[in-house]
Amino acid sequence: MAEPAYTVASDSENTGEEKSSSSPSLPEIAVGIDIGTSQCSIAVWNGSQVHILRNTRNQKLIKSFVTFKDEVPAGGVSNQLSHEQEMLTGAAIFNMKRLIGRVDTDPVVHASKNLPFFVQTLDIGVRPFIAALVNNAWRSTTPEEVLAIFLVELRLMAETQLKRAVRNVVLTVPVSFSRFQLTRMERACAMAGLHVLRLMPEPTAIALLYAQQQQMTTHENMGSGSERLAVIFNIGAGYCDVAVTATAGGVSQIKSLAGNAIGGEDILQNTMRYIAPPNKEASGLLRVATQDAIHRLSSQENVQIEVDLGDGDMVSKVLDRLEFEEVNEKVFQECERLVVQCLRDARVESGDIDDVIMVGGCSCIPKVRAILKNVCKKDEIYKDVNPLEAAVRGAALEGAVTSGIHDPFGSLDLLTIQATALAVGVRANGNKFVPVIPRNTMVPARKDLFFTTVHDDQKEALIVVCEGEGETVEENHLLGFFKIVGIPPSQKGVPEINVCMDIDASNALRVFAAVLMPGSKSPVVPVVEVRMPTVDDGHGWCAQALNVKYGSTLDLITLQRKM
Amino acid sequence: MNKTKKLVASISKLLRRRTCYPSTFRCNPLATIAFNHLSRDSLQPCSAKPLAISVSGLRLSGRAFCSKRSSVCWNCGFSSEKAAFLFCDSCRSIQPVDDSVDYFQIFGLENKYELDAGSLEGKYKDWQKKLHPDLVHNKSKKERDYAAEQSAKVTEACRTLTKRLSRAMYIMKLNGININEEETLTDPELLMEIMELREAIAESKDSNALNQIRSQVQEKLKQWSDSFLEAFESQRFDEAVKCIQRMTYYERACEEIVKKL
Ligand SMILES: [Zn+2]
Repeated sequence: MAEPAYTVASDSENTGEEKSSSSPSLPEIAVGIDIGTSQCSIAVWNGSQVHILRNTRNQKLIKSFVTFKDEVPAGGVSNQLSHEQEMLTGAAIFNMKRLIGRVDTDPVVHASKNLPFFVQTLDIGVRPFIAALVNNAWRSTTPEEVLAIFLVELRLMAETQLKRAVRNVVLTVPVSFSRFQLTRMERACAMAGLHVLRLMPEPTAIALLYAQQQQMTTHENMGSGSERLAVIFNIGAGYCDVAVTATAGGVSQIKSLAGNAIGGEDILQNTMRYIAPPNKEASGLLRVATQDAIHRLSSQENVQIEVDLGDGDMVSKVLDRLEFEEVNEKVFQECERLVVQCLRDARVESGDIDDVIMVGGCSCIPKVRAILKNVCKKDEIYKDVNPLEAAVRGAALEGAVTSGIHDPFGSLDLLTIQATALAVGVRANGNKFVPVIPRNTMVPARKDLFFTTVHDDQKEALIVVCEGEGETVEENHLLGFFKIVGIPPSQKGVPEINVCMDIDASNALRVFAAVLMPGSKSPVVPVVEVRMPTVDDGHGWCAQALNVKYGSTLDLITLQRKM
Repeated sequence: MNKTKKLVASISKLLRRRTCYPSTFRCNPLATIAFNHLSRDSLQPCSAKPLAISVSGLRLSGRAFCSKRSSVCWNCGFSSEKAAFLFCDSCRSIQPVDDSVDYFQIFGLENKYELDAGSLEGKYKDWQKKLHPDLVHNKSKKERDYAAEQSAKVTEACRTLTKRLSRAMYIMKLNGININEEETLTDPELLMEIMELREAIAESKDSNALNQIRSQVQEKLKQWSDSFLEAFESQRFDEAVKCIQRMTYYERACEEIVKKL
């Protein structure tokens, strides 16, 4: 087997900025990649339509994992597994998408600790220690490295089939990913020699596919056609995402997004815990049997589960659908909450919805379908998308559109207008998170807020930038921090500190901070500009460290505006 | 790099603009809104001109004296008579931002307060299909910058014209009147009403009660919007400003309610 072809780029965080040297006359069509928690696919615009590539075993859906069996790691693209269980011996690392960019205090990381490979946490806010079992020793790795190895295989496979170099990609990502996690995805791509043209929240890729379908069906009417409102619900193994989109004339405008790190993996673990004998560690065999049972429960009312766990431990159980739904009640409640929130944020009443689109590996679970039909008050789910291919098809379309490919039949006459998935803001008013750009703001966006000092003669102020929906700083993702200095001596509440945030069309976030004094015509110290995120993998403990060092001495409060 | 410079320039412009307002922001509720409104504009600085059309007429006086002006495509030289020449239909290139083009012109509307906000969305999308930065990845840096600026301007135009309050403030600004927030706190009757409204919102326990308050507030908003229209059209600008101030309060109350819902 050849040397792994991934090259580790320098550790500088220059992501997103163009490095491509594509000549305008011959644009390279970017490929679309949908990296799922458990499965992955890659597709490209072939000149007339989206073509999904197949691996050597003729599969369009490729299992997302990397085994470290021998000296050379091998991913799911090239690797042949004789048994499903082989993935569960500890030699294979999977669920990378659930681990990437998370620190070891994250509950999602903790939930991954009973996977067959090694996930160790010290619970201090650094990246977790992840390792695969190779020749009876734990070989350490990182989610970025695992993802990069997998992406290199995908790239080589695509290059062989397309007979050209593949460099530019459009990647789908979960809605709930923080900007820090997005930089980690870009990092993995860079390690694999890929240049990210765009990271698309998964449901927005599906929205683009839907926009194309609407465009094609209303083509004869000319003009933009009437606007259609669609709810897109995507639940895979690791994440659940929702979007509301208004589509007309091939333009999909994202009205709102909502998402959380829940999905098939949680359902699987809940169910395993339920059927496993007490005091018995989760085994690979049980995992496979449970997975199979959950699949069958989508079409059957009950299933018989028989597993020999060895040492005389037998599982023999009939699991019916109602039990299954009770065991996973919390997951389903969260699905419902996300849909309700998304509709409310979009200011859409259920009566206005034209289509409900459901995709992802878990979208066939009857309970999930019932929730969507109920909340959206629809009897039917949209039928014209393949639930397992929609995201990658949308990503491939976006790849062609952003590569500037023109289609004579108008099939690429498409556009997605994105919205921010999470609020970005700063720490103020004690330990509160104060959003400057709220979630679901149309991109590009620029907003500012005024803050002031909390102490007399406070000369400096700490600007802590976070992203998320939580009320307090700890509940959100930390993106970075900096200090503004040189505030002129004055009573507390007098200086005006203007924090301005700017998200451009390529989703880059810049934070500006300026100090103004009443009566002064311009900022009293130079305006500070910081491109976010600036944190690294050990950022989990930063907020705490800042607190220990500075306490509330450099705090800010919002300038009161009366109602 | 270039972009960064521009952003710094715009934030400083934004900060300089603040000197238009004699008051401090802190004690003033409307100031922040007015400021925010302007700060977004600072992407395409738009000073308080008496009337956009007359300004553009003056500026282009070397070329033509008639009120209808023509623009020339930077790329192919195509000459257009359109009021909003953002995009060349001949060579499909995006044009640099022209500050004299106002938000109404972008949407092909008359410079009037009353409009059908529902009709904006479609036109907005049509523009974005021509101007959005996503669509010009392979074009020159210059044109990609034009795309970023034009698409941001169209977005802001849509945002501004969609909501009654921001539309009212914008049309006043086009007429050279920036809202003077000094007068906001003087009307005791209004203050009383706002206090009562706040209490009612705070005390509401369920979404039914909140929704009821919301529809009342929206009714008020509509009434004041109508009064604004009347005052504005008959050029009673002082009164128009008062209407805007009331609309601001009701708009904010609406936001509070939505937050609680
Ligand atoms: Zn032209």
